[in-house]
Amino acid sequence: MKNSSYLFVEEDKRGRFFVIICKGVTLLSVSLLFFMFLFIAKESLIFFQNTPLRAFLTGQRWNPLATPPAFGLAPMIAATVYVSVLATAIAFPIGVGVATFLSVLAGNKLPNICLPLIDLMAGIPSVVYGFAGLLIIVKFFETHFSFSSGESILAGGILLSVMILPYIISTCHESATKILRRYKHVSTALGVSRWHMIRYLLFPSMSKALFSALILSFSRAMGETMAVMMVIGNSPIFPKLLHKAQTIPGLIALEMGGAHVGSPHYRALFAAGFVLMFVLFVFNTLFFIIEKSLEGDA
Amino acid sequence: MNRFRRYRGIRIWLFISICLTFASLAIILGYIFIHGINELSIQFLLGTPQGFPLGIEGGIWPAIMGSLGFTSIACLFGSILAIPTAIWLVFYNKNLCITSLCHFFIYSMAGVPSIILGLFGYAFFVVTLKLGVSLLSGGLILGVMIFPFIEVRVEKSFREFPLQLVQASLALGVTRTWTLFHLVFPASLGDIASAIALGGSFAMGATAPILFTGAVLFAPVPRSLFSPAMALPNHLYILVGQGISLSKAYGTALVLIIILLALNSVPIFIRMHRKEG
Repeated sequence: MKNSSYLFVEEDKRGRFFVIICKGVTLLSVSLLFFMFLFIAKESLIFFQNTPLRAFLTGQRWNPLATPPAFGLAPMIAATVYVSVLATAIAFPIGVGVATFLSVLAGNKLPNICLPLIDLMAGIPSVVYGFAGLLIIVKFFETHFSFSSGESILAGGILLSVMILPYIISTCHESATKILRRYKHVSTALGVSRWHMIRYLLFPSMSKALFSALILSFSRAMGETMAVMMVIGNSPIFPKLLHKAQTIPGLIALEMGGAHVGSPHYRALFAAGFVLMFVLFVFNTLFFIIEKSLEGDA
Repeated sequence: MNRFRRYRGIRIWLFISICLTFASLAIILGYIFIHGINELSIQFLLGTPQGFPLGIEGGIWPAIMGSLGFTSIACLFGSILAIPTAIWLVFYNKNLCITSLCHFFIYSMAGVPSIILGLFGYAFFVVTLKLGVSLLSGGLILGVMIFPFIEVRVEKSFREFPLQLVQASLALGVTRTWTLFHLVFPASLGDIASAIALGGSFAMGATAPILFTGAVLFAPVPRSLFSPAMALPNHLYILVGQGISLSKAYGTALVLIIILLALNSVPIFIRMHRKEG
């Protein structure tokens, strides 16, 4: 079937109908992405006619209900990037460590128990993470340190790092297993210790997979809504590590309910969504290209 | 001895990271379980939210039913999109460029953050198609969200089907469609069911897409597709976000997690069943 040189038997009428249906559905489902872009771009473009893109991206004030309204996304962009970088920085070494452990040291049985648990971790809804983060991390900050408030970029970063761990672990584990399948016996036969193998064989050959895990987890972190929103405090000011801030998804989720359809506020939120979507689209494209090239290597 | 000292760093690092990961999972689940278990009662499960502010007393029955409603619509719509797409890409499309392009779009859709889906759902289903804030709008947008999730898994299952069997069938002069329905489908049915169950659990936990397309603060158990409904994750968010009741929030979170664990165990049962059979 992968080979186009087959001579296929002519389908009967019902078969042809089935093929057409499948083709139609494929077209529809693939075009959903275009619809998404279209609908979000449509509202944003009207907005950008009134507010230039540059002013929108670099403006420092967000006050949609003032007269005249101020639409400056810069604090939210900074906070989104800040919290995602922090989360990735915390989660990345841990995730790579777990993946290495599971693929090199854990034998055969342990991964079969651990990997479903990692999947489970990815399956916990973000609102439950947010709830737990609020009660564990934020509360801890408030009782043990004299922070002005526990809700902060730091709390968001720590919580987010737990949430993106599964993505890093599964991407790295997949790649590490592939590499080990190829070299493990050779390496063991040469009398190389497992630690030496990890350091000098596994990591260098995993570099591409590490990069793709980094991109994937970073883009997932940027798009995360509920959990971050619940622990970060949501005030549209310029982010500092121990102070409240607001991310773009949080901004949209909080203010969308109060924005009237067709108002500048409504369109500004769509424009914020468009900025986020565009950035993530670029990241996803990068991720896809690396994954494709990894497939080619294997 | 030297080599042990040399790689001690790596050793400690691996040990710490595995401990941290599973400790955080255990802490989160344990915390909710310990605090939530006392909240569970027939009254809580089968009652409606009561008191002022709403939700401080009573139960979460409408939210459970609403969530199930959203999830079933999502699973239905998601699989209607995903399964034919997977079939066409694996069995009928011979152009590798098109396959690659479709994969790119599907991966990109999987990467669209949930809040953007919420925006899209609001602009498309609620405003343009005039479906209103309803069970249907919310379910449809959740279906769009889980479509890539289901498609990737179903496609993987199709591709793992032994090629020789298909070739033998085709060599006998059987059409591709017949081969598909009588050979491939029976073999992949378990995988498809697992994919849909996992997609369902993904949809059930999602808050942001239905935040302004389907879920509301309070609604009775939905009677029609066009009525808004409550949903467990959104109910939890409201209980916590507005500080209404922490104890009810623990209970809601626990119920949500239990339902998700049940959905997540579907693939395990299917696998066990297949091993026996």
